[in-house]
Amino acid sequence: MQRHQLYGWLILVGSVCGSTPIWADTPQQLLDGYKAEAQAESPDFNSFDPQRGEQFFNKTHANDWSCATCHTSNPAAMGKHDKTAKSIEPLAPSANAERFTNPKKVEKWFKRNCNDVLERTCTSLEKGDVLTYLLSIQ
Amino acid sequence: MLQRILVWDVPTRVFHWSLALSFAGAYVTAESERYRDIHLALGYVLLGLLVFRLVWGLVGTAYARFSAFTFTPSQVKAYLLGLLSKQPPHYVGHNPAGGVAIFALLALGLLISVSGLGLEWEIGAEDFMEELHEIAANLMLLVVLAHIAGVLISSVLHRENLVRAMFTGYKQSATAAGITRAYVGLGVVLLVAIVGFLGWYLV
Repeated sequence: MQRHQLYGWLILVGSVCGSTPIWADTPQQLLDGYKAEAQAESPDFNSFDPQRGEQFFNKTHANDWSCATCHTSNPAAMGKHDKTAKSIEPLAPSANAERFTNPKKVEKWFKRNCNDVLERTCTSLEKGDVLTYLLSIQ
Repeated sequence: MLQRILVWDVPTRVFHWSLALSFAGAYVTAESERYRDIHLALGYVLLGLLVFRLVWGLVGTAYARFSAFTFTPSQVKAYLLGLLSKQPPHYVGHNPAGGVAIFALLALGLLISVSGLGLEWEIGAEDFMEELHEIAANLMLLVVLAHIAGVLISSVLHRENLVRAMFTGYKQSATAAGITRAYVGLGVVLLVAIVGFLGWYLV
């Protein structure tokens, strides 16, 4: 086996088995990404707002579900799935260090959950506001 | 002279249509948390059905056994090429192409169920399990479509209604022997178990 092939396998096995993904990111890096997108989407963009994020998180948009329906209005606490009653780990990074460290996972859940709650995708402004709110919780 | 013979026993038919419905239902409920409970329930049914089928493939009636539809690659090739000829080869049970589809469906179904359980029970790396779950499900959909196309093509070429046969269990044959027992009781038990589980889980 060629050496570079071996490294390829090791990276594959490591990324599959490792508890910390090798593409780990920080919530701040994600937030910077949303900021760049929000600026590109709207020239009026000023900054993300934790209060706006909190309101967005707690209100309903298109149906009977809000973010808080499953995640509760205290994102530092455990949530509970509305359909299966399965417990959900806290969303706030202060309570759960794994949150917002894997961009792929974050995008997957924003896509699924925005679709369920808003019946559309979320804008970068909405994602940034919510993440800013979640990061403000100590 | 053509005779009406019993080919598919009742448990095999119940398995077939239950698997088709549970896969289709799980596929369309995959994208929303709103249907998470239905998706999970159908996933458990799918796994239960596959386990039953693995056992039935070893101890079931003649045409339902794995040995009845295990063919060599050259037999599969010969069958597919034969479809282009004036007298396409005919099989009473599963034809070689159908046999390949069934093994592929069983294998993919098991991969989907196991990765789904891994995701639900948080065993194994989430990203890997998720990719596996989605890729296997999409592959299974492709095999299902190929299977349906094969059924339609074969039904036309051999002038027999294979879809009806999977409901009634009966086919026409001049030479082949039918199975002697339909195992109605076992089929009913399987159906009641599925409906009972879904009722218990979802209501």
